[in-house]
Amino acid sequence: MKRAILPCNGLDKQQGVLARELALRLMETQGAEVICPVLLNNSPARYEKALADASLLVIDGCPTRCASKLANKLGLRVDDKVLVSEEAKSAGLDVGESLRPGSVGMQLVEVMEAGLARAQELAVSEEPATDFESPTDYLTVTYDKFIFKIPAQGYLFNENDCWVQAVGSRARVGVSDFVQQSLTDITYFEPAEVGREIEQFDEIGSLESGKSMMDALSPVSGRIVAVNSQLVDSPELVNEDPYGRGWIAEIELTDFDSDKELLLDAAAYSMIVEKKAAEAQR
Amino acid sequence: MADDTFMSVKREKINWSPTIDYSKCDFCMECDKFCPHQVFERREEAPKLIVANPYNCVVFCRACAKTCGPDAISFPSKPETIAAIKKIREEEGEQ
Repeated sequence: MKRAILPCNGLDKQQGVLARELALRLMETQGAEVICPVLLNNSPARYEKALADASLLVIDGCPTRCASKLANKLGLRVDDKVLVSEEAKSAGLDVGESLRPGSVGMQLVEVMEAGLARAQELAVSEEPATDFESPTDYLTVTYDKFIFKIPAQGYLFNENDCWVQAVGSRARVGVSDFVQQSLTDITYFEPAEVGREIEQFDEIGSLESGKSMMDALSPVSGRIVAVNSQLVDSPELVNEDPYGRGWIAEIELTDFDSDKELLLDAAAYSMIVEKKAAEAQR
Repeated sequence: MADDTFMSVKREKINWSPTIDYSKCDFCMECDKFCPHQVFERREEAPKLIVANPYNCVVFCRACAKTCGPDAISFPSKPETIAAIKKIREEEGEQ
């Protein structure tokens, strides 16, 4: 599939300049179509055709994430994202503050280009290894016109509305029905990196809707052994089936007994949902 | 939110809220626009933005820092906060 790229405009910070440079590089090497954010904002119709039959990569320079916000505002379907400032941090590169591309910056552009190529390969090769059964019985919390479902058995929860389902030394994690209803239609999922060691409450992926964004915080510590790559193309699975097909990651557990000290069972979590639902209405 | 708790520990006992580095902050207010819990407060006088309600901050949430272009927001260490919460729970469990 052809790729369309919506980059940061690249006139405010070096990170933005590099977002633009990465877009130009991908245009040259992959024949991707680069979308001008200013023109898109003024005349969305100009790019209607380019966006209709392409997978969209959004490249933000800094966490202000203007390009992402523009995509969101126009209701565009985003398939992949890069945030240059984060990439610089994880590569340990200080790109400076010039508004011209610098040599360290161009080094980062190469790192990011290689990372994108790797991600495309990984998305095909990741396969979850363990069978996890979907819940059958639920507790429900009713508030106003909302009904929130919580699996009665087999799941534990943290107070940050994420669940864990453990089978032996493996576990699946995800977000609760309360999260998916609060966010409404989820339009984008950013998975965590497979192989990374995580502590309890570390980020294991983020979700975005037209309304808000949320980092899923892991109920358990361990190593990420798989991510649900289906969510990249179909983030709506989290809305449709938050405790089953909408799982976020699989973790090889390292200290589940200790993690459990800060986890809740279904009954205790249902009281938290009741409290949060009431607060959200205020 | 006087009765607020996290894992049965009184919220006021848990050290978790953003700190603004005023040497970096450019007062774009993106963090305040994002946060639905009124942790921040905009003011007429300097500084134009403060952390007014630190105990409204959702324990372990760092989402506002991700909206910060100039990287001016920091949080306490997560492992230290986790250890402190476990310790308080243990002590209160003994009473």
